[in-house]
Amino acid sequence: MPETEDFSAFVGTTIAPKTAPMPLEQDTIRRFVQAIMDADPVYYDEAEARRTRFGAIIAPPLYPVHAFRHPAGAPDPLAAIQRDPDSDGTEGSDAVGFGLPPIPSPFKRMLNGGNEIEFFRCLRVGETAVARPRYADVSVKHGKSGDLLLVVIETAFSTTEGDPLLINRQTLIWR
Amino acid sequence: MQRPCFEDFAVGMAIGPVAKGQITTAHIMRWSASVENWHRIHYDQRFATAHDGLPDVLINGSWKQHVLVQLMKDALGPDGWLWKIRFRYQRMDVAGDSITALGEAIATQEVDRLGFVTCRIRLENQRGEISTSGAALGVVKLRDGPDVPYPFVVKPEYRGLALPADA
Repeated sequence: MPETEDFSAFVGTTIAPKTAPMPLEQDTIRRFVQAIMDADPVYYDEAEARRTRFGAIIAPPLYPVHAFRHPAGAPDPLAAIQRDPDSDGTEGSDAVGFGLPPIPSPFKRMLNGGNEIEFFRCLRVGETAVARPRYADVSVKHGKSGDLLLVVIETAFSTTEGDPLLINRQTLIWR
Repeated sequence: MQRPCFEDFAVGMAIGPVAKGQITTAHIMRWSASVENWHRIHYDQRFATAHDGLPDVLINGSWKQHVLVQLMKDALGPDGWLWKIRFRYQRMDVAGDSITALGEAIATQEVDRLGFVTCRIRLENQRGEISTSGAALGVVKLRDGPDVPYPFVVKPEYRGLALPADA
């Protein structure tokens, strides 16, 4: 890849905030905490949760990143598998970029370079999450085994009322 | 439930463990369904192995994140707050692996009448292999100090508090 390739124009690129298709439901939390195997009563026991600083049943701190489900009426994400037996099942999902415009680059293989997360508060039943993604860093690094494209996507999550929930800084390494 | 305060933490103290036991294809399927992740490497063994060349269906990295968040949440207790956490993925975990989250406190610091506890954290499998490593920074109240504010608000005084760069 040419050394002059400059991706800096992508840094700071953002899109309109993305709102989760529906408010958080208690049954969604039930399924979620059963799957992560966390029996903390603040996730299901109304009376217990009311006695805590949360004042109500909450979802686990990192839940909001999963709140952006497939909206009712949208195209079937599994239709791709019916058309193409080699489809991996991810068509139509963009759980990392939240709809940020893809970066055109010659790199084919993506590795998860890790996450760094800051938490401010948990989402409560009845609240709706909003995601504001942006490219925080896009740069080419010259590694020992060749060039890498380093992409940091910073997504700030809040409630629709504007209360900050968390910030997720996800590093992706393309090679 | 224990209500630890800052004075209960010391450098070198063990965090956890939180042991999840053996994670089978059923556990992975339950997670994938709960977050509507239809990536076939997590539930379609033929696709994962024959098509993608993986050793078996993979335990989701996203699931592993929540286990490490739980490790810290439980260690900090109901009066504490997990402010920052970092994950680095070292290797894959596959169906049948047993997953345990654990860590240790590596620094404690009092700032503005609150206690800050920095930890190294990791996930290990039944062979002692580390699949995910990282660090976390939690906030706890001093025994005779004010409550940790909720929602947590980052004050200018906390700006110097960062996760260790090498974790």
